[in-house]
Amino acid sequence: MTITPSDLVKDIGGLVTLPDVYLRISRLIDDPNSSANDIAKVVSQDPSFTVRLLRVANSSLYNFSSAVGTVARAVAIIGTSQVRSLALSMSIASSFDGLPNTLVSMKNFWRHSLFCALIARHLAKQARRCDPDTVFTAGLLHDIGELVIFNRMPKQAEQALQAILDSQDELPVYLAERQVIGFSHSEVGGEMARQWNLPPLLEECIAFHHDIAAAKRHPREVALVHLANIFALMAELDTLDLADLPPIDPLAWELTGLDAECVEPAVREAQAEIEAVEKLFT
Amino acid sequence: MALSSESSRPKPPLVLPGFEHVKRSWNATYAAYAARILPGEYYVTKSQEGVYTTLGSCISACIRDRISGIGGMNHFMLPASGKDESTTWTATGLGAATRYGNFAMEHLINVILRNGGVRGNLEVKIFGGGRILENMTDVGNRNIAFVRDYLKTESLRVVAEDVGDVFPRMVVYFPATGTVKVKRLRSLHNNVIVNQEKAYIDTIVDKPVSGDIELF
Repeated sequence: MTITPSDLVKDIGGLVTLPDVYLRISRLIDDPNSSANDIAKVVSQDPSFTVRLLRVANSSLYNFSSAVGTVARAVAIIGTSQVRSLALSMSIASSFDGLPNTLVSMKNFWRHSLFCALIARHLAKQARRCDPDTVFTAGLLHDIGELVIFNRMPKQAEQALQAILDSQDELPVYLAERQVIGFSHSEVGGEMARQWNLPPLLEECIAFHHDIAAAKRHPREVALVHLANIFALMAELDTLDLADLPPIDPLAWELTGLDAECVEPAVREAQAEIEAVEKLFT
Repeated sequence: MALSSESSRPKPPLVLPGFEHVKRSWNATYAAYAARILPGEYYVTKSQEGVYTTLGSCISACIRDRISGIGGMNHFMLPASGKDESTTWTATGLGAATRYGNFAMEHLINVILRNGGVRGNLEVKIFGGGRILENMTDVGNRNIAFVRDYLKTESLRVVAEDVGDVFPRMVVYFPATGTVKVKRLRSLHNNVIVNQEKAYIDTIVDKPVSGDIELF
């Protein structure tokens, strides 16, 4: 019997759940009668999230000129849908604690995801017309399908990684997965996003970061995450040589209006921020 | 298109005796065949072909006769010992662990010489010894210390190296020209590489080295 991405995701429904505060903020945002005040109230009812939200609001990610002391002010200046993104970002690592694996350490996995998130956020500010907080979350979530595959299909996942080591040109992970398993972490992550009813922008970034031409609704954001994923590897491997990395889809430059000039500052900034941000998000 | 590139691909070059089991595949980037070696293995060639491997805390020595182009690559590590005495990790140390390093180095060098390499022409490049697992004693560093000491004792010239640090590496070496390409690998590969290296260590620890090392 052939396993499909949706079979895999169905299996883990009970093991990985999104936090209540995220779900409640989402419901309010979708409700036309709700106000920023209602959202601040929901946030305040979750003391642990409140503390972390204020910590992030006062971190170098935002650089607000004065201290953000209250939830109401944080919601007002960060924005309601951005606060929803943060609620997801801040809980995603612990949501996946229930899905352990032996192939990659969680620290290394989330480090790559956070590099991608930071770089996507940085690029969004230059590309304009993209919301930095939302693409940050997209970057953080882009590989979640990997954790599902590693947990549910450890043997095949290891074979796929083995195939990369045996290939002389470092076959890209998603292609190795398609060869060995028949589908890749991006399809599985896309399923996960649908099951969770994540906003379509996040779903497309997760499902299509290796296949940006397939993104119909949010191609710019998908292209940003595609670039950020590759630059995240540069930050991790401490190299600026594009020849060492998986190829960039030229469509990504076209869709974002960015060019190679943006690479070095994005990589360097993410390297400078990573340790502080790891403390906030994992 | 695939057909035409398939037909323009030459046959793999002749393999030296003793290396028939090593898997070789076509490398499109270099338009040459390359042999894949695993921990504990080595490969020597007189032809225009490459040797490649992936390294975690293991070491690969790439050695060639720079005049004739005969050369090859090994891939080894020293098993951890209970004691952490850095002095026992030298090539001249009497610790049992260093025997595996000596064994790997001497096999590679002897086979190069047996196939026409000249000792005075040998040049060496060394790679690997990364610290790819946190909270692990730095076996990579011990391996680096061993190979440096070995090469010094044997008066062999190291012309290039990329060792230590926290990255696994993929190394492709062409003995005929001495060309080498080292690529850092992302941490996603750490555990698979560590498992490979552990499996190799288990086999050598279970099966002591026999005393048939040829000295030269």
